[in-house]
Amino acid sequence: MSAVEMIQIWVMAFFTLAIFSFLYKDNPVYRVAEHIFAGLSAGYYVGLIWKSVIIQQLWEPMMAGSWWLIIPGLLGALMFARFWEKISWVSRISLAFVMGNTAGIFLISQLHGLVLPQIKATMLPLGGGGGLTAALLAIIIVLGVISTLIYFYFSKEHKGALGVTAKVGIWFIMIAFGAHFGYTVMARISLLIGRVYFLWNDWLGSLAHIF
Amino acid sequence: MSIWDKILQLDRRWIYLMVALAVIFPLIVPMTFKIYITPEVRQLYNAIDSLPDSSVVMLTFDYYPSTLAETEPMSVAALNQLFQKNCKVLTLTTVPLGGPSIAERVTRKIAKKYHKVYGVDYVNLGYKANYVAVLKGMGTSIEAIYPTDNSGTPLSKLPMMKHIKNYNDIKFIFVVSDNGIVDYWISIVNAQYGIPVGSGVTAVMAPKFYSYIGSKQMTGLLGGMKGAAEYEILVKERGMAVKGMTMQSLVHLLIIGLVILGNVAFFASRRNHKKGEHF
Repeated sequence: MSAVEMIQIWVMAFFTLAIFSFLYKDNPVYRVAEHIFAGLSAGYYVGLIWKSVIIQQLWEPMMAGSWWLIIPGLLGALMFARFWEKISWVSRISLAFVMGNTAGIFLISQLHGLVLPQIKATMLPLGGGGGLTAALLAIIIVLGVISTLIYFYFSKEHKGALGVTAKVGIWFIMIAFGAHFGYTVMARISLLIGRVYFLWNDWLGSLAHIF
Repeated sequence: MSIWDKILQLDRRWIYLMVALAVIFPLIVPMTFKIYITPEVRQLYNAIDSLPDSSVVMLTFDYYPSTLAETEPMSVAALNQLFQKNCKVLTLTTVPLGGPSIAERVTRKIAKKYHKVYGVDYVNLGYKANYVAVLKGMGTSIEAIYPTDNSGTPLSKLPMMKHIKNYNDIKFIFVVSDNGIVDYWISIVNAQYGIPVGSGVTAVMAPKFYSYIGSKQMTGLLGGMKGAAEYEILVKERGMAVKGMTMQSLVHLLIIGLVILGNVAFFASRRNHKKGEHF
Protein backbone atom coordinates (compact mmCIF):
# COMPACT_ATOMS: atom_id res chain seq x y z
CA MET A 1 0.00 0.00 0.00
CA SER A 2 1.46 3.35 -1.10
CA ALA A 3 1.63 6.41 1.14
CA VAL A 4 -0.96 8.20 -1.06
CA GLU A 5 -3.42 5.30 -0.70
CA MET A 6 -2.82 5.28 3.04
CA ILE A 7 -3.58 9.01 3.32
CA GLN A 8 -6.72 8.56 1.18
CA ILE A 9 -8.00 5.79 3.44
CA TRP A 10 -7.36 7.80 6.61
CA VAL A 11 -9.05 10.91 5.20
CA MET A 12 -12.06 8.80 4.17
CA ALA A 13 -12.17 7.13 7.58
CA PHE A 14 -11.97 10.48 9.38
CA PHE A 15 -14.90 11.93 7.42
CA THR A 16 -16.96 8.74 7.77
CA LEU A 17 -16.51 8.78 11.56
CA ALA A 18 -17.10 12.55 11.67
CA ILE A 19 -20.48 12.13 9.93
CA PHE A 20 -21.38 9.13 12.12
CA SER A 21 -20.64 11.22 15.21
CA PHE A 22 -23.95 13.04 14.56
CA LEU A 23 -25.76 9.87 15.64
CA TYR A 24 -24.63 10.60 19.18
CA LYS A 25 -25.35 14.33 18.97
CA ASP A 26 -24.65 17.40 16.85
CA ASN A 27 -21.01 18.47 17.24
CA PRO A 28 -18.35 20.71 15.62
CA VAL A 29 -16.50 17.80 13.99
CA TYR A 30 -19.69 16.74 12.19
CA ARG A 31 -20.33 20.31 11.05
CA VAL A 32 -16.79 20.73 9.73
CA ALA A 33 -17.16 17.50 7.71
CA GLU A 34 -20.57 18.59 6.40
CA HIS A 35 -19.28 22.00 5.27
CA ILE A 36 -16.19 20.55 3.63
CA PHE A 37 -18.40 18.07 1.75
CA ALA A 38 -20.74 20.83 0.53
CA GLY A 39 -17.85 23.06 -0.54
CA LEU A 40 -15.94 20.29 -2.29
CA SER A 41 -19.06 19.10 -4.15
CA ALA A 42 -19.85 22.63 -5.36
CA GLY A 43 -16.26 23.23 -6.47
CA TYR A 44 -16.01 19.87 -8.25
CA TYR A 45 -19.37 20.47 -9.99
CA VAL A 46 -18.37 23.95 -11.23
CA GLY A 47 -15.07 22.61 -12.56
CA LEU A 48 -16.71 19.66 -14.28
CA ILE A 49 -19.46 21.75 -15.91
CA TRP A 50 -16.89 24.33 -17.03
CA LYS A 51 -14.85 21.61 -18.74
CA SER A 52 -17.62 19.37 -20.09
CA VAL A 53 -20.12 22.05 -21.16
CA ILE A 54 -18.44 25.42 -21.68
CA ILE A 55 -15.15 24.14 -23.09
CA GLN A 56 -16.05 20.80 -24.71
CA GLN A 57 -19.56 21.51 -25.96
CA LEU A 58 -19.36 25.25 -26.68
CA TRP A 59 -15.87 26.74 -27.00
CA GLU A 60 -14.02 23.93 -28.79
CA PRO A 61 -16.75 23.25 -31.41
CA MET A 62 -17.02 27.02 -32.04
CA MET A 63 -13.28 27.26 -32.59
CA ALA A 64 -13.57 24.27 -34.94
CA GLY A 65 -16.02 26.18 -37.13
CA SER A 66 -19.47 25.56 -35.59
CA TRP A 67 -20.16 29.29 -35.20
CA TRP A 68 -23.92 28.78 -34.94
CA LEU A 69 -23.29 27.56 -31.36
CA ILE A 70 -23.01 31.23 -30.42
CA ILE A 71 -26.85 31.26 -30.36
CA PRO A 72 -27.25 28.68 -27.49
CA GLY A 73 -24.21 30.31 -25.88
CA LEU A 74 -25.95 33.69 -25.88
CA LEU A 75 -29.20 32.14 -24.65
CA GLY A 76 -27.23 30.66 -21.74
CA ALA A 77 -25.55 34.00 -21.02
CA LEU A 78 -28.96 35.72 -20.93
CA MET A 79 -29.84 33.63 -17.86
CA PHE A 80 -27.36 35.73 -15.87
CA ALA A 81 -29.56 38.80 -16.47
CA ARG A 82 -31.58 37.61 -13.47
CA PHE A 83 -28.89 39.13 -11.26
CA TRP A 84 -29.89 42.67 -12.41
CA GLU A 85 -33.46 43.63 -11.64
CA LYS A 86 -33.88 46.12 -14.51
CA ILE A 87 -32.97 43.64 -17.23
CA SER A 88 -34.01 40.42 -15.48
CA TRP A 89 -36.89 40.01 -17.97
CA VAL A 90 -34.33 39.16 -20.65
CA SER A 91 -33.71 35.76 -18.98
CA ARG A 92 -37.30 34.80 -19.84
CA ILE A 93 -36.27 34.44 -23.48
CA SER A 94 -33.93 31.58 -22.54
CA LEU A 95 -36.47 30.11 -20.13
CA ALA A 96 -39.16 30.18 -22.84
CA PHE A 97 -36.82 28.24 -25.13
CA VAL A 98 -36.06 25.66 -22.43
CA MET A 99 -39.74 25.26 -21.48
CA GLY A 100 -40.90 24.87 -25.07
CA ASN A 101 -38.13 22.42 -25.85
CA THR A 102 -38.70 20.38 -22.69
CA ALA A 103 -42.48 20.26 -23.14
CA GLY A 104 -42.06 19.03 -26.71
CA ILE A 105 -39.63 16.27 -25.77
CA PHE A 106 -41.47 15.13 -22.67
CA LEU A 107 -44.96 15.19 -24.19
CA ILE A 108 -43.98 12.43 -26.58
CA SER A 109 -41.67 10.45 -24.30
CA GLN A 110 -43.99 10.45 -21.29
CA LEU A 111 -47.11 9.61 -23.28
CA HIS A 112 -45.56 7.11 -25.66
CA GLY A 113 -43.00 5.71 -23.23
CA LEU A 114 -44.79 5.66 -19.89
CA VAL A 115 -48.52 6.41 -19.84
CA LEU A 116 -49.72 4.26 -22.74
CA PRO A 117 -47.57 1.15 -22.02
CA GLN A 118 -48.59 1.27 -18.35
CA ILE A 119 -52.30 1.54 -19.24
CA LYS A 120 -51.87 -1.34 -21.68
CA ALA A 121 -50.16 -3.45 -18.98
CA THR A 122 -53.03 -2.72 -16.58
CA MET A 123 -55.74 -3.98 -18.91
CA LEU A 124 -54.65 -7.58 -19.39
CA PRO A 125 -56.97 -10.20 -20.91
CA LEU A 126 -58.22 -12.68 -18.28
CA GLY A 127 -57.90 -15.58 -20.71
CA GLY A 128 -54.44 -14.53 -21.83
CA GLY A 129 -52.89 -17.95 -21.34
CA GLY A 130 -51.31 -17.46 -17.92
CA GLY A 131 -53.84 -19.65 -16.15
CA LEU A 132 -55.88 -18.92 -13.04
CA THR A 133 -53.05 -17.16 -11.15
CA ALA A 134 -52.42 -14.71 -14.00
CA ALA A 135 -56.15 -13.98 -14.28
CA LEU A 136 -56.39 -13.38 -10.53
CA LEU A 137 -53.37 -11.03 -10.60
CA ALA A 138 -54.88 -9.14 -13.53
CA ILE A 139 -58.08 -8.62 -11.52
CA ILE A 140 -56.08 -7.41 -8.48
CA ILE A 141 -54.16 -4.93 -10.67
CA VAL A 142 -57.38 -3.47 -12.11
CA LEU A 143 -59.00 -3.36 -8.66
CA GLY A 144 -55.93 -1.66 -7.19
CA VAL A 145 -55.69 0.95 -9.94
CA ILE A 146 -59.40 1.84 -9.91
CA SER A 147 -59.79 1.93 -6.11
CA THR A 148 -56.61 4.02 -5.69
CA LEU A 149 -57.73 6.48 -8.37
CA ILE A 150 -61.12 6.74 -6.66
CA TYR A 151 -59.42 7.48 -3.32
CA PHE A 152 -57.85 10.54 -4.98
CA TYR A 153 -61.20 11.68 -6.42
CA PHE A 154 -62.21 14.50 -4.09
CA SER A 155 -65.07 16.14 -6.02
CA LYS A 156 -67.65 13.93 -4.27
CA GLU A 157 -67.90 12.95 -0.62
CA HIS A 158 -66.53 9.45 0.06
CA LYS A 159 -69.82 7.80 1.07
CA GLY A 160 -71.63 4.61 0.00
CA ALA A 161 -70.05 2.65 -2.85
CA LEU A 162 -67.55 5.45 -3.49
CA GLY A 163 -66.49 5.39 0.18
CA VAL A 164 -66.08 1.61 0.26
CA THR A 165 -64.00 1.65 -2.96
CA ALA A 166 -61.87 4.50 -1.58
CA LYS A 167 -61.24 2.43 1.57
CA VAL A 168 -60.08 -0.48 -0.59
CA GLY A 169 -57.83 2.05 -2.31
CA ILE A 170 -56.32 3.04 1.05
CA TRP A 171 -55.43 -0.61 1.67
CA PHE A 172 -53.62 -0.81 -1.65
CA ILE A 173 -51.80 2.47 -0.89
CA MET A 174 -50.81 1.20 2.58
CA ILE A 175 -49.44 -2.05 1.12
CA ALA A 176 -47.43 0.01 -1.38
CA PHE A 177 -46.12 2.24 1.42
CA GLY A 178 -45.14 -0.86 3.40
CA ALA A 179 -43.19 -2.26 0.44
CA HIS A 180 -41.49 1.10 -0.09
CA PHE A 181 -40.62 1.38 3.61
CA GLY A 182 -39.19 -2.14 3.71
CA TYR A 183 -37.02 -1.41 0.68
CA THR A 184 -35.98 1.96 2.19
CA VAL A 185 -34.80 0.23 5.39
CA MET A 186 -32.82 -2.21 3.26
CA ALA A 187 -31.27 0.66 1.26
CA ARG A 188 -30.20 2.62 4.33
CA ILE A 189 -28.74 -0.43 6.04
CA SER A 190 -26.85 -1.23 2.83
CA LEU A 191 -25.19 2.18 2.98
CA LEU A 192 -24.23 1.57 6.62
CA ILE A 193 -22.83 -1.85 5.70
CA GLY A 194 -20.73 -0.24 2.96
CA ARG A 195 -19.18 2.22 5.41
CA VAL A 196 -18.67 -0.32 8.20
CA TYR A 197 -17.10 -2.73 5.73
CA PHE A 198 -14.73 0.04 4.61
CA LEU A 199 -13.79 0.93 8.18
CA TRP A 200 -13.27 -2.70 9.14
CA ASN A 201 -11.31 -3.90 6.10
CA ASP A 202 -9.59 -0.87 4.62
CA TRP A 203 -9.07 1.42 7.58
CA LEU A 204 -8.32 -1.15 10.27
CA GLY A 205 -6.49 -3.17 7.60
CA SER A 206 -4.24 -0.17 6.95
CA LEU A 207 -3.17 -0.28 10.59
CA ALA A 208 -1.55 -3.64 9.88
CA HIS A 209 0.69 -1.87 7.35
CA ILE A 210 1.70 0.73 9.92
CA PHE A 211 2.37 -1.59 12.86
CA MET B 1 -42.62 3.48 35.45
CA SER B 2 -43.25 -0.03 34.05
CA ILE B 3 -40.82 -1.94 31.83
CA TRP B 4 -43.12 -1.21 28.86
CA ASP B 5 -42.93 2.54 29.46
CA LYS B 6 -39.15 2.29 29.69
CA ILE B 7 -39.04 0.48 26.34
CA LEU B 8 -41.23 3.15 24.75
CA GLN B 9 -38.92 5.89 26.02
CA LEU B 10 -35.70 4.09 25.07
CA ASP B 11 -33.02 6.50 23.84
CA ARG B 12 -32.70 6.04 20.07
CA ARG B 13 -28.91 5.83 20.47
CA TRP B 14 -29.27 2.36 22.02
CA ILE B 15 -30.97 1.27 18.80
CA TYR B 16 -28.11 2.75 16.75
CA LEU B 17 -25.70 0.76 18.90
CA MET B 18 -27.67 -2.46 18.43
CA VAL B 19 -27.76 -1.93 14.64
CA ALA B 20 -24.00 -1.24 14.63
CA LEU B 21 -23.34 -4.44 16.60
CA ALA B 22 -25.56 -6.45 14.23
CA VAL B 23 -23.52 -5.14 11.29
CA ILE B 24 -20.13 -5.77 12.94
CA PHE B 25 -20.97 -9.22 14.38
CA PRO B 26 -20.70 -11.19 11.06
CA LEU B 27 -17.30 -9.58 10.47
CA ILE B 28 -16.05 -11.16 13.70
CA VAL B 29 -18.03 -14.41 13.52
CA PRO B 30 -18.36 -15.45 9.84
CA MET B 31 -21.81 -16.75 8.95
CA THR B 32 -23.98 -17.05 5.84
CA PHE B 33 -27.69 -16.91 5.03
CA LYS B 34 -29.13 -18.61 1.97
CA ILE B 35 -29.90 -16.23 -0.90
CA TYR B 36 -32.75 -17.16 -3.28
CA ILE B 37 -32.77 -15.97 -6.88
CA THR B 38 -35.82 -13.90 -7.85
CA PRO B 39 -37.32 -14.06 -11.38
CA GLU B 40 -36.43 -10.41 -12.16
CA VAL B 41 -32.72 -10.99 -11.50
CA ARG B 42 -32.70 -14.26 -13.45
CA GLN B 43 -34.44 -12.48 -16.34
CA LEU B 44 -31.64 -9.90 -16.50
CA TYR B 45 -28.94 -12.56 -16.28
CA ASN B 46 -30.61 -14.64 -19.03
CA ALA B 47 -31.03 -11.60 -21.28
CA ILE B 48 -27.27 -10.95 -21.24
CA ASP B 49 -26.45 -14.66 -21.34
CA SER B 50 -28.42 -15.06 -24.57
CA LEU B 51 -26.59 -12.25 -26.39
CA PRO B 52 -24.45 -13.35 -29.38
CA ASP B 53 -20.66 -13.26 -29.05
CA SER B 54 -19.08 -9.77 -29.41
CA SER B 55 -22.43 -7.98 -28.91
CA VAL B 56 -22.12 -4.33 -27.94
CA VAL B 57 -23.64 -3.58 -24.55
CA MET B 58 -23.99 -0.12 -23.04
CA LEU B 59 -23.38 -0.09 -19.28
CA THR B 60 -24.20 3.08 -17.40
CA PHE B 61 -22.73 4.26 -14.11
CA ASP B 62 -25.57 6.63 -13.23
CA TYR B 63 -24.87 6.79 -9.51
CA TYR B 64 -23.20 8.96 -6.92
CA PRO B 65 -20.46 7.74 -4.53
CA SER B 66 -22.96 7.87 -1.64
CA THR B 67 -24.73 4.73 -2.90
CA LEU B 68 -21.63 2.72 -3.84
CA ALA B 69 -22.46 -0.04 -1.34
CA GLU B 70 -25.56 -0.95 -3.34
CA THR B 71 -24.63 -0.02 -6.89
CA GLU B 72 -20.95 -0.83 -7.31
CA PRO B 73 -21.44 -4.60 -6.75
CA MET B 74 -24.02 -4.49 -9.57
CA SER B 75 -21.56 -2.82 -11.95
CA VAL B 76 -18.80 -5.25 -10.96
CA ALA B 77 -21.05 -8.29 -11.48
CA ALA B 78 -22.34 -6.87 -14.77
CA LEU B 79 -18.81 -6.35 -16.09
CA ASN B 80 -17.89 -9.87 -15.00
CA GLN B 81 -20.78 -11.36 -16.96
CA LEU B 82 -20.24 -9.10 -19.99
CA PHE B 83 -16.52 -9.89 -20.24
CA GLN B 84 -17.19 -13.60 -19.60
CA LYS B 85 -19.60 -13.43 -22.55
CA ASN B 86 -16.95 -11.62 -24.64
CA CYS B 87 -19.23 -8.59 -25.12
CA LYS B 88 -17.94 -5.17 -26.17
CA VAL B 89 -18.71 -2.78 -23.34
CA LEU B 90 -19.50 0.89 -23.78
CA THR B 91 -19.66 2.71 -20.44
CA LEU B 92 -20.97 6.18 -19.71
CA THR B 93 -22.49 8.23 -16.93
CA THR B 94 -25.08 10.98 -16.66
CA VAL B 95 -24.01 11.74 -13.08
CA PRO B 96 -21.31 14.40 -12.70
CA LEU B 97 -20.20 13.83 -9.11
CA GLY B 98 -18.13 10.66 -9.03
CA GLY B 99 -19.74 8.90 -12.01
CA PRO B 100 -16.84 9.29 -14.49
CA SER B 101 -14.12 8.27 -12.04
CA ILE B 102 -16.12 5.32 -10.66
CA ALA B 103 -16.71 4.06 -14.22
CA GLU B 104 -12.99 4.39 -15.01
CA ARG B 105 -11.82 2.67 -11.81
CA VAL B 106 -14.29 -0.24 -11.82
CA THR B 107 -14.12 -0.97 -15.55
CA ARG B 108 -10.30 -0.96 -15.73
CA LYS B 109 -10.07 -3.26 -12.69
CA ILE B 110 -12.47 -5.90 -14.07
CA ALA B 111 -11.15 -5.60 -17.64
CA LYS B 112 -7.63 -6.36 -16.42
CA LYS B 113 -8.89 -9.61 -14.87
CA TYR B 114 -10.18 -10.79 -18.28
CA HIS B 115 -7.21 -9.34 -20.25
CA LYS B 116 -9.50 -6.96 -22.13
CA VAL B 117 -7.93 -4.06 -24.02
CA TYR B 118 -9.16 -0.49 -23.80
CA GLY B 119 -10.47 0.81 -27.13
CA VAL B 120 -10.82 -2.73 -28.50
CA ASP B 121 -13.03 -4.48 -25.93
CA TYR B 122 -14.36 -1.56 -23.93
CA VAL B 123 -14.62 2.22 -24.07
CA ASN B 124 -15.50 4.72 -21.36
CA LEU B 125 -17.41 7.66 -22.82
CA GLY B 126 -17.45 9.53 -19.50
CA TYR B 127 -19.90 12.27 -18.56
CA LYS B 128 -21.93 14.77 -20.56
CA ALA B 129 -24.36 17.27 -19.09
CA ASN B 130 -28.10 17.38 -19.88
CA TYR B 131 -29.05 13.72 -19.89
CA VAL B 132 -32.22 14.15 -21.95
CA ALA B 133 -30.23 15.66 -24.83
CA VAL B 134 -27.56 12.97 -24.38
CA LEU B 135 -30.08 10.09 -24.47
CA LYS B 136 -31.93 11.53 -27.47
CA GLY B 137 -28.77 12.52 -29.31
CA MET B 138 -27.13 9.10 -29.13
CA GLY B 139 -30.05 7.77 -31.20
CA THR B 140 -28.65 9.75 -34.13
CA SER B 141 -24.92 9.76 -33.43
CA ILE B 142 -22.91 8.77 -30.37
CA GLU B 143 -19.88 10.61 -31.74
CA ALA B 144 -21.84 13.85 -32.05
CA ILE B 145 -22.62 13.70 -28.32
CA TYR B 146 -19.26 12.25 -27.23
CA PRO B 147 -16.62 13.44 -29.71
CA THR B 148 -13.98 12.05 -27.32
CA ASP B 149 -13.86 9.37 -24.64
CA ASN B 150 -13.36 10.10 -20.93
CA SER B 151 -9.62 10.61 -21.40
CA GLY B 152 -10.01 12.98 -24.36
CA THR B 153 -9.15 10.47 -27.11
CA PRO B 154 -11.27 11.07 -30.25
CA LEU B 155 -13.75 8.20 -30.75
CA SER B 156 -12.58 7.89 -34.37
CA LYS B 157 -9.20 6.68 -33.06
CA LEU B 158 -10.72 3.83 -31.00
CA PRO B 159 -11.04 0.57 -33.02
CA MET B 160 -14.18 -0.56 -31.14
CA MET B 161 -16.05 2.64 -32.02
CA LYS B 162 -15.60 2.22 -35.80
CA HIS B 163 -18.69 0.03 -35.97
CA ILE B 164 -20.73 1.74 -33.27
CA LYS B 165 -22.56 4.77 -34.60
CA ASN B 166 -25.83 4.93 -32.65
CA TYR B 167 -28.38 2.81 -30.73
CA ASN B 168 -28.86 0.56 -33.79
CA ASP B 169 -25.44 -0.95 -33.06
CA ILE B 170 -26.19 -1.66 -29.40
CA LYS B 171 -27.84 -4.94 -28.38
CA PHE B 172 -28.59 -4.25 -24.73
CA ILE B 173 -28.48 -1.35 -22.28
CA PHE B 174 -27.70 -2.10 -18.64
CA VAL B 175 -28.54 0.90 -16.47
CA VAL B 176 -27.08 0.93 -12.96
CA SER B 177 -28.58 3.91 -11.22
CA ASP B 178 -29.48 5.57 -7.94
CA ASN B 179 -31.76 8.24 -9.42
CA GLY B 180 -34.73 8.83 -11.72
CA ILE B 181 -32.66 8.59 -14.91
CA VAL B 182 -33.97 5.02 -15.35
CA ASP B 183 -37.35 6.50 -16.33
CA TYR B 184 -35.70 8.29 -19.26
CA TRP B 185 -33.80 5.24 -20.42
CA ILE B 186 -37.22 3.55 -20.59
CA SER B 187 -39.34 6.39 -21.97
CA ILE B 188 -36.79 7.74 -24.45
CA VAL B 189 -34.43 4.93 -25.41
CA ASN B 190 -36.51 1.77 -24.96
CA ALA B 191 -39.79 3.27 -26.14
CA GLN B 192 -38.45 5.25 -29.08
CA TYR B 193 -35.54 3.11 -30.27
CA GLY B 194 -36.67 -0.34 -29.11
CA ILE B 195 -33.39 -1.26 -27.36
CA PRO B 196 -33.89 -3.71 -24.46
CA VAL B 197 -33.08 -2.06 -21.14
CA GLY B 198 -32.27 -3.90 -17.90
CA SER B 199 -31.46 -2.10 -14.71
CA GLY B 200 -29.88 -2.29 -11.29
CA VAL B 201 -31.22 0.29 -8.88
CA THR B 202 -30.99 1.15 -5.20
CA ALA B 203 -33.53 -0.54 -2.94
CA VAL B 204 -35.35 2.76 -2.31
CA MET B 205 -36.16 2.98 -6.00
CA ALA B 206 -36.84 -0.70 -6.73
CA PRO B 207 -40.62 -0.90 -5.98
CA LYS B 208 -41.37 1.76 -8.58
CA PHE B 209 -39.63 -0.12 -11.37
CA TYR B 210 -41.50 -3.40 -10.92
CA SER B 211 -44.26 -1.82 -13.02
CA TYR B 212 -41.81 -1.67 -15.95
CA ILE B 213 -41.18 -5.39 -15.56
CA GLY B 214 -44.94 -5.99 -15.61
CA SER B 215 -45.35 -3.91 -18.76
CA LYS B 216 -42.34 -5.65 -20.36
CA GLN B 217 -40.60 -2.30 -20.87
CA MET B 218 -37.70 -3.45 -18.71
CA THR B 219 -35.77 -6.70 -19.16
CA GLY B 220 -34.82 -7.65 -15.61
CA LEU B 221 -34.26 -5.69 -12.43
CA LEU B 222 -31.73 -5.78 -9.58
CA GLY B 223 -33.21 -4.22 -6.44
CA GLY B 224 -30.60 -2.97 -4.00
CA MET B 225 -27.97 -5.09 -2.30
CA LYS B 226 -30.25 -8.16 -2.38
CA GLY B 227 -30.56 -7.94 -6.17
CA ALA B 228 -26.81 -7.41 -6.49
CA ALA B 229 -26.13 -10.47 -4.30
CA GLU B 230 -28.44 -12.66 -6.40
CA TYR B 231 -26.74 -11.44 -9.56
CA GLU B 232 -23.26 -12.13 -8.10
CA ILE B 233 -24.36 -15.71 -7.39
CA LEU B 234 -25.66 -16.17 -10.96
CA VAL B 235 -22.44 -14.74 -12.43
CA LYS B 236 -20.45 -16.99 -10.03
CA GLU B 237 -18.42 -14.03 -8.76
CA ARG B 238 -19.37 -13.65 -5.12
CA GLY B 239 -18.37 -10.21 -3.88
CA MET B 240 -19.34 -7.38 -1.60
CA ALA B 241 -23.12 -7.83 -2.03
CA VAL B 242 -23.15 -11.49 -0.95
CA LYS B 243 -20.97 -10.63 2.06
CA GLY B 244 -23.19 -7.66 2.89
CA MET B 245 -26.40 -9.71 2.81
CA THR B 246 -25.43 -11.58 5.98
CA MET B 247 -25.19 -8.27 7.86
CA GLN B 248 -28.33 -7.08 6.09
CA SER B 249 -30.30 -10.15 7.22
CA LEU B 250 -29.13 -9.79 10.84
CA VAL B 251 -30.15 -6.11 10.93
CA HIS B 252 -33.52 -6.96 9.36
CA LEU B 253 -34.12 -9.58 12.07
CA LEU B 254 -33.19 -6.98 14.70
CA ILE B 255 -35.54 -4.38 13.18
CA ILE B 256 -38.40 -6.90 12.95
CA GLY B 257 -37.80 -7.79 16.61
CA LEU B 258 -37.75 -4.11 17.61
CA VAL B 259 -40.96 -3.36 15.65
CA ILE B 260 -42.73 -6.27 17.40
CA LEU B 261 -41.32 -5.25 20.79
CA GLY B 262 -42.32 -1.62 20.24
CA ASN B 263 -45.89 -2.60 19.35
CA VAL B 264 -46.20 -5.02 22.29
CA ALA B 265 -44.85 -2.30 24.61
CA PHE B 266 -47.27 0.25 23.17
CA PHE B 267 -50.37 -1.91 23.72
CA ALA B 268 -49.17 -3.24 27.11
CA SER B 269 -48.42 0.30 28.32
CA ARG B 270 -51.81 1.52 27.12
CA ARG B 271 -53.57 -1.38 28.88
CA ASN B 272 -51.65 -0.65 32.12
CA HIS B 273 -52.60 3.03 31.98
CA LYS B 274 -56.26 2.17 31.35
CA LYS B 275 -56.21 -0.20 34.34
CA GLY B 276 -54.62 2.58 36.42
CA GLU B 277 -57.43 4.97 35.45
CA HIS B 278 -60.06 2.49 36.78
CA PHE B 279 -58.50 2.32 40.24
